[in-house]
Amino acid sequence: MTEPLLSVRGLTKDFQVGTIFSRRRVRAVNDVSFDLPAGRITALVGESGSGKSTIARCLARLEQPSAGQVLLDGQDILRTERRRVSRAYRRKVQMVFQDPFGSLNPVHRIEHFLTRALVLHGHSATPEALRELIKTVGLTEDMLQSYPHELSGGQRQRVSIARALAVEPRLVLADEPTSMLDVSVRVGVLNLMRRLRDERNIAMLYITHDLGSARYLADTTMVMFAGELVEGGDALAVMDAPAHPYTRLLLSAVPDPERAGGHDPVERAKHREAILNPMSCPYGDDGTCSRTEPVRHIVGEDDGQPHWVRCHLRAPASDIARRVLKATDRLDDEAPDAPDATEKAETTAA
Amino acid sequence: MEPVLEVNGLRVEYRGDGRTVVGADGVSFSIGSGEIFGLAGESGCGKSTIANAVTRLLKPPADITAGSIRFQGRDVLALDARELRAFRWREIAMVFQSAMNSLNPVLTIGEQIVDIFTTHERMRKRAARERAGELLQLVGIDPGRLKAYPHQLSGGMRQRVVIAMAVALKPRLLIMDEPTTALDVVVQQEIMAQIRDLQRELGFSILFITHDMSLMIELSDRMGVMYGGRIVELADAKDLFAGPLHPYTEALMNAFPPLTGPRQELTGLFDAPRTADSCGFHVGCPEDRSDCSMNIPDLREITPGRWVARSKARSSEGASR
Repeated sequence: MTEPLLSVRGLTKDFQVGTIFSRRRVRAVNDVSFDLPAGRITALVGESGSGKSTIARCLARLEQPSAGQVLLDGQDILRTERRRVSRAYRRKVQMVFQDPFGSLNPVHRIEHFLTRALVLHGHSATPEALRELIKTVGLTEDMLQSYPHELSGGQRQRVSIARALAVEPRLVLADEPTSMLDVSVRVGVLNLMRRLRDERNIAMLYITHDLGSARYLADTTMVMFAGELVEGGDALAVMDAPAHPYTRLLLSAVPDPERAGGHDPVERAKHREAILNPMSCPYGDDGTCSRTEPVRHIVGEDDGQPHWVRCHLRAPASDIARRVLKATDRLDDEAPDAPDATEKAETTAA
Repeated sequence: MEPVLEVNGLRVEYRGDGRTVVGADGVSFSIGSGEIFGLAGESGCGKSTIANAVTRLLKPPADITAGSIRFQGRDVLALDARELRAFRWREIAMVFQSAMNSLNPVLTIGEQIVDIFTTHERMRKRAARERAGELLQLVGIDPGRLKAYPHQLSGGMRQRVVIAMAVALKPRLLIMDEPTTALDVVVQQEIMAQIRDLQRELGFSILFITHDMSLMIELSDRMGVMYGGRIVELADAKDLFAGPLHPYTEALMNAFPPLTGPRQELTGLFDAPRTADSCGFHVGCPEDRSDCSMNIPDLREITPGRWVARSKARSSEGASR
């Protein structure tokens, strides 16, 4: 495989929560490492509160990671740009946010957003450049003169994408770009992202909890659970042959009319048990399994990509994991719960 | 058996300055006792308009210009303000789309639930508080959380509180307008399981509204697909999934990337504007539908219990298929 565009090594992020008297730390992301190669879409899936967005925000430098390295072209940008991120970095890495209603200033025309992005990053904002930009994302020229409220959600999200593209980035971080959109336009935005990958060789990190769309769009999928990556590999392989019990649990939660009568509670309980109280790891033939170290087992290879899974023996390290699962537990077997805890776990997601 | 809710030929218009938009037109369906009926469709198709019409929540400029709504034989459209007050919540309860935000942020959960019982049941505070605790337990939340403010609960828990409040007075019909749209899959799965349990326990009927076809097919007994203010297909949920007869139903089912099977290129639903005299979907129709370009035709029963919006010529063809 070619040299990755961006490499993340051991990324960790702690948040301080509570008041001045009861201060404590919540670890939202714990020791996460992955690569984002150019021209490929990497999906990061997981439930709310698993730390997906925190990773994107760390990579966009909207949050300061607590530890770890972010290597862009082999240079650790956390070291070279310690406090503030340079404009040069922003030129290479752009972000598209979840809410197209909140991310465009309502008092400006669409033209303004694109012009600003172009000018700030040293491109000239000629009418041709604007026209080309708006056409790339499948909108018409006359929309340049529109205000955000005149556009639909899907169109607005396309404007957000156009704005990100204006600086000709090499990496786009898309944080749930379709979750606020109506069904009728979701696929359109997904197809647009795919086209941009193919035409412009852009690397993308696609963050979502919609497993179907990750399967549809991504080349590589990584599954995140309680701040840690638990499985990764070719998008189809991960979805069709999930190796980690958490991935199976997540998949079993997706409504699927083909499974008549919905999910199988017994099966789900088994997956949950396997995550919380692991007895053995089916992949550790060579004795590498560890309860403390995050060991990765390679369980297969598809399309030149290894399909790896974290050793099952390593129960989720952070408290969040236990709490997140407890919350799911409650309904199926009426287990006594710790509502306090669930709520805290959710707060960290925000 | 007498249906709980019967909607017949309902037409809702939104009157603007010089221009009238039809929110729903000729909508007819019925919901049986203990039945889960689903209404599917994209934004703007009129599904929320129906929900608001049934609860009489429509405000000007919206206007019900034709049709009838009968709830257990009673004419809902004829209820006066006092009757409405008793009718809502006790007979029909509603869980709204952004239900999580419909809790009052400055009152505790307990105060808000107690309020229902003291107002509608004229209960004493103490008894009401006890009932509130039981109610929370019903949806799997520790009664100790009665003292919590909405912001101290997670999105999923807030949604469960709202559902608990909706079923507090044991309504005969629960209307849920996109109850899980803002939640992730795991929480959504929990809430749906919860709703199924509650329904089994309390035996109410559900009018369930969503754009997520897979979720709807999994939950509903019967369902209708709405498009441009009209129902275009009405059938048993399993039958509809097995073989959609209307091209729009098929398109809506294909609007979500599937979790199984080979990866296929999908095309989004057609985003064409709808006008009074053309069924906008005609443009995006995968098959030739030249005979219904002017309007969405009325529903026709093709096989027993299976209704499709088609003109006569095509329905004979559909039956033979």
